[in-house]
Amino acid sequence: MRQLLRAVIFGILGYLIGATLTWLVRGGSLGDEVCVVFGYVVGLVGWLFGIGMGDTWVREWFGLPARESDVTGWKRYLGFSTDHKVIGVQYLATFIVVLLLGGVAAMIIRFELAQAGEGILNADRYNQVMSMHGILMVAVAVAAILGSFGNYLVPIMIGADDMAFPRLNAVTFWLIPPVAIGLLAAPTLGSFDAGWTAYPPLSVVNNGGQILFVLAVTTFGLSSILGGLNVITTIVTMRAPGMTWGRLPIFVWAAFAASMISLLTTQFFAASLVLIAMDRVAGTVFFDGGAGGDPLLYQHLFWFYSHPAVYVMVLPGFGLVLETITHMSRKPLFAYKAVVVSLLTIAGLSVIVWAHHMFTSGMAEYLHGPFMFATEMISVPTGVIFLSAMATLWRGKLWMKTPLFFAMIWIFQFLMGGVTGIFLADVVTDVSLHDSYFVVAHFHYTIMGGMIFAFLTGIFFWFPKITGRMINDRLGIIFALWLTIGFQLTFLPQFWLGTNGMNRRIADYPDQLEGANLFSSISAFFLGGSFLLLIYILLSAARRGPKAGDNPWNASTLEWQVSSPPPEHNFSGQPTVVGHPYGYGTADSRHAEFAGMTAVGLAEPEQAGTGEGGDNE
Amino acid sequence: MDQDRRNDWIWFGSLWAIFSAIGFYLVLGIDLLPAQWAHEAEIVDDAYILLMGLSIPIFAGVAAALLTSLLRFRVQVDDIPTEDGPPVHNNRNFVRLWVASTLILALMITVNPGFIGIAELRGEPSADIVVEVQAQRWSWKVNYENGAETFNQLYLPADRRVRFDITSLDLVHSFWIPGFRVKIDAVPGRVTYLYVTPEGVGSFEDDFNLRVQCAEICGLGHAQMAMPVTVLSPADFDAWVTDLAEGA
Repeated sequence: MRQLLRAVIFGILGYLIGATLTWLVRGGSLGDEVCVVFGYVVGLVGWLFGIGMGDTWVREWFGLPARESDVTGWKRYLGFSTDHKVIGVQYLATFIVVLLLGGVAAMIIRFELAQAGEGILNADRYNQVMSMHGILMVAVAVAAILGSFGNYLVPIMIGADDMAFPRLNAVTFWLIPPVAIGLLAAPTLGSFDAGWTAYPPLSVVNNGGQILFVLAVTTFGLSSILGGLNVITTIVTMRAPGMTWGRLPIFVWAAFAASMISLLTTQFFAASLVLIAMDRVAGTVFFDGGAGGDPLLYQHLFWFYSHPAVYVMVLPGFGLVLETITHMSRKPLFAYKAVVVSLLTIAGLSVIVWAHHMFTSGMAEYLHGPFMFATEMISVPTGVIFLSAMATLWRGKLWMKTPLFFAMIWIFQFLMGGVTGIFLADVVTDVSLHDSYFVVAHFHYTIMGGMIFAFLTGIFFWFPKITGRMINDRLGIIFALWLTIGFQLTFLPQFWLGTNGMNRRIADYPDQLEGANLFSSISAFFLGGSFLLLIYILLSAARRGPKAGDNPWNASTLEWQVSSPPPEHNFSGQPTVVGHPYGYGTADSRHAEFAGMTAVGLAEPEQAGTGEGGDNE
Repeated sequence: MDQDRRNDWIWFGSLWAIFSAIGFYLVLGIDLLPAQWAHEAEIVDDAYILLMGLSIPIFAGVAAALLTSLLRFRVQVDDIPTEDGPPVHNNRNFVRLWVASTLILALMITVNPGFIGIAELRGEPSADIVVEVQAQRWSWKVNYENGAETFNQLYLPADRRVRFDITSLDLVHSFWIPGFRVKIDAVPGRVTYLYVTPEGVGSFEDDFNLRVQCAEICGLGHAQMAMPVTVLSPADFDAWVTDLAEGA
């Protein structure tokens, strides 16, 4: 609490100092964008110093002992904690809130679009709400799974006591609040209206809120890069004895592949945004076609990150879903090695397909064929993921609890996204469908269907581990069905709208399209309502849910062999990994041994015995 | 045991057939695509329908596998699961077959409607008439070869191959005619182009998809940045464009 207050004060002071100094040097007004830029940078440093970098790193630089936070209980979640589980929960709570905020924006959008003509929003306001919805949801999609489950699960799953760089991990999380503040403060400077893609020249000439977008999203990129670095280093260096690469739980592989992408490509987005900032405040003309710049340069740089970014969103989702399916159908993950190869292949292919977003951009035509080919090739490794999911289910012992329901619905949702993606990868159909509502429907199936549904799978599967309490399963299944039905009714009509002449990012549309839009809007409210049930389910389970025990799913991987929630350093002794993570169906299969360990997880011998190898001794 | 396994596949096969039939019925039964007003629209729609036809069995197959699993493999668990599924870790031949078939399918659609479709859609780089279009927030200006000029109105001759030379004065816009199924961005600092052969005589009054719609967000007036398209018979068009040039 004290740290948070200090961080806020230092942040504000930093902003004022940065902005004032700039103003003193160059004149003009304090509200000028260049003052905002320097104010934001100094304010960000002040914030990080205040939240905990000052107590740890900075003190050590001057030879002083670091002052580690000694708060306990719920207050840890409001401060600079280096415990990966605390950080995971911080991410989880933060991004559920951001998801709901973005959802409110979605409801406003659908309310406006329910009828043709101007409703509650004028065109300007609509563009701003739509842009805000876009960037908030993209942030959720990029960071929610990797930030929460990546932090929470990866170290435990590989038998480590924490991440490789715990302090860096804390910084990675505490970079997020300035991002949220920057984005939500944009209306004070006139908001931003260029969508989440922020194509110039529009993003160079629009209102001042765009500069806050640029600063916030660049900060978010920094957080992604640092997070990716940390996950990769953790997986490479912190694995328990015996945890060979071939014994890693599949979620760890998925987090590894996704982190590779965020570590290696986020810079391109950040760079393109910095160029926008320069065009705005420093008088450069990188994207000014009339002065020798080129708007297409931005699109190439932007999509070089932003296409791989969709795999940062969905690869960890693949991991969560496959974990859930293998544990809850009590069968080994089908074709484990092929899945690993596929995850890495997708990560590799993801950086050579970006220009399929640009088939109608006016780029050279000889680029169309190769990018179409590379894009179609992604369907092969993705197909292996589908095969693994379905073949693991086949003849399994399906325990149809909420997590498995969500995982199976995920298969359906992501398939829908994948199949409609073919229409957009194909140049001929894309020339018609690009920038239409077909695209809107498609990416809601991939991102909401592929990422949010996986996120929910993860929440329902690991909630007992994180909180020690069980979720009301009946309500969970009602929520899953409600959400899924609402989703289909909302987004299926949007495919039709796209093919029938409705383009995206518009506040108004031809009267002839009103029927389908009204239907989609009503369905969207129905869909939005389901999240109220989710909030109720989570809050009531966290407060009053029945005790979960250490291993309520009787699952085999390491996180289920410790108490719920796990103790501070995860394991009281060093676990040794001796076998495959998913030894279901093999009588003497064991994943790990806990020699000399008195962990709470082994307090009940029968349960731990069946849990470790997943067998029925 | 063997009979049981066979039944799994019978369930799967039957559901697959049923879902595919429903899928084809819906797709062919519902009018998914709007009226075609250009030769290019036929190429695009053919590609769309071909991809749709290939998607349905794939989609139905996965749905059938999911439903079969849900119906036949679910177990009642009291408290905690004790029974495991068969320890099948892999089936190399099946994985190979799967990868080979998805690869072949992906290559097939890359060739057709991919490369073949691109070649058809692009056609010969020759045109009967050239129309210059200039985008500016939030309107369109159209210039014809004989000097005629219109503002937020586009007239085209039927059955003649038109080349649009498209420019933008300020921001990135996008020139999209839904009835023609084609679009290309208007980019400041470069000329982009598009070939279209309109078919049939009609106007925005007949079909609201006979309009040029800006498809790239460009601020306040983006949604309203549209102009009606009128396709005239070649003779009518010649008369119209001559009158307009002489009047001006």
